[in-house]
Amino acid sequence: MPGLVANFRELDRTVSAVKELQRRKLGNLTVYSPTIHHELEDAIEAPPSPVRRFTLIGGLCGVTMGYWMAIWTSDYWPLVVGGKAVASWIPYTIIGFEMMVMVGALSTVFGMFITSRIPKLVVDVAFDPRYTNGDYGIFVDCPPEKEKDAEGLFRQHGATEVRHAR
Amino acid sequence: MATMAEPVGPMRPNIASADVQLPAIKTFEQVDEEIANTLKPTKAWFLGLMVAVGCMLLGASAWTFQVYAGLGNAGYVPPVMWGVYIITFVFWVGIGHAGTLISAILYLFRAGFRTTIYRASEAMTVFAVMTAGLFPIIHIGRPWKFFWLIPYPNWRLLWPNFKSPLVWDVFAISTYLTISTTFLYIGLIPDIAVIRDREKNPTRKFILSILSLGWKNTDREWRHFTRAYLFLAAFSTPLVLSVHSVVSFDFAMALTPGWHATIFPPYFVAGAIFSGFAMVWTILIPIRKWWKLEHYVTLNHLDATAKVVLFTSLVVGCAYLVEFWVAWYSGVKPEQDYFFNRVFGEWWWAAWIMLICNMVLPLSLFSQKLRRNTAWLFILSIFINIGMWFERFVIVVPSLSHEFEPWQWTTYVPSWIDMSFLVGSFGWFFMWFLLFIKQLPVMAIIEVKEIVPARRAAAGQGGHH
Repeated sequence: MPGLVANFRELDRTVSAVKELQRRKLGNLTVYSPTIHHELEDAIEAPPSPVRRFTLIGGLCGVTMGYWMAIWTSDYWPLVVGGKAVASWIPYTIIGFEMMVMVGALSTVFGMFITSRIPKLVVDVAFDPRYTNGDYGIFVDCPPEKEKDAEGLFRQHGATEVRHAR
Repeated sequence: MATMAEPVGPMRPNIASADVQLPAIKTFEQVDEEIANTLKPTKAWFLGLMVAVGCMLLGASAWTFQVYAGLGNAGYVPPVMWGVYIITFVFWVGIGHAGTLISAILYLFRAGFRTTIYRASEAMTVFAVMTAGLFPIIHIGRPWKFFWLIPYPNWRLLWPNFKSPLVWDVFAISTYLTISTTFLYIGLIPDIAVIRDREKNPTRKFILSILSLGWKNTDREWRHFTRAYLFLAAFSTPLVLSVHSVVSFDFAMALTPGWHATIFPPYFVAGAIFSGFAMVWTILIPIRKWWKLEHYVTLNHLDATAKVVLFTSLVVGCAYLVEFWVAWYSGVKPEQDYFFNRVFGEWWWAAWIMLICNMVLPLSLFSQKLRRNTAWLFILSIFINIGMWFERFVIVVPSLSHEFEPWQWTTYVPSWIDMSFLVGSFGWFFMWFLLFIKQLPVMAIIEVKEIVPARRAAAGQGGHH
């Protein structure tokens, strides 16, 4: 999607530009930062990550699968020992627990990949290698008629560079 | 991830920022530069790799010979059918514990000293579990049948017994390896992106681009990444405690004297953390020295890890003493005989090595001066690792060689094949570790940047300009 991308050197300037863009609703934002900053997170006001749902569903599926596998196979191919239950849930809790962790964790990673949209197979036109080093970037996918406003806003908030990304 | 540069609201836990923890680190660019520097090979690295590969080849040759000549060459004498292989297996699983403890449990507890040491520890975990995983395969004698360990219906339509601790082991170790590797890789993705964007060589850049999955440091990526990382830490925390508990069940579920004890799971977990932290010293102290990273892994960080080692040493020491007390109080003759033999019998020297290395020498860490002396910590780490290997030796060999029936009593002498495997396992572990530190950052660039005060335009707000 075409839009404008601005480069910032300082965190506080980036935060104030993000807040102002949000207030003026100039377009959807993508913010690039060299590391995690909670000030930026707060300014962006994004909803909570849905990754937790993948974790919950994966964990529940895993624990069910672990118990089911152990109980079903014990009943289908029983190892009969006098006075002992063929399927015993107490030792099978270990299998259930391990499967819960395994499936829950892998589905968390799967959820992260889906929601973060990685692996990314297309070129991100707004990205600049400086954003993994020490600089900040804001990309706004505004319509052409709002580009001037957005550029003015970026300059006013101390952007070191503003360019079109198409 | 772990931390934040400045507290925003009262609900957000925080740890000391870099100006308190790492005062010599001022800018993001400095972090990139100095950590990326560790990727340049040095003469010491080449030398270390040559030694590691040499040791690994020794182990590989011994394995080839064993496959050809049979498991009978391994020094086993019935009923001592668990020898160096199982001892070394438990030893390496134990080493693998500290990595996830540091990366997951200390993450949840917001322990500031983990930031610069957790990446090396996580990598250590993955390679230690990879090393441990070799030993059951070596021990079965016919490694090409390793898939029989996996629960699936075999040709007799008989599934493995899910009530057996050996099957629990398969689940525990494979889950631990998978999750530790995943946790390591997920934490590495943003750091690989940093290295990718600095890389000049097109082939390496291409490989790093694939490994970084096209990571771009966007707000969307960070938001989901932090959540996923938190949940992975939450899953890994009970996993750390469960894995060595399950390994201890291999012993505790048997009726053999010296093994059948309910104290085993916490005793094994404490021992694993103890030995794992010692191995963290063994690898990190040379790294910080050779690559001049003393301002990243500071003496305060080493001091904090030394306190963990001291605490776990006291737990392990207490467990040793409780074992003797329980044997005496139980009134069970074979149990009492075993514990008497442990310190005064044929294997007395092994037990005393264990007691001195694991109980006595770590008491030196009550001295703050020694906790901050890197040379002493390095020497102590070697003693602790020797002591912890002998702890497993003392558990396995004297018990099996001195069971209930006197006619069964025997002795055990490891063969050259056993010892070659032991040396080979160290070679295998260090080979992978040395290759890792030359390809990927040995410290978490993103997490270090997270505590470095960010550059700000407003005067008087700290940060770099």
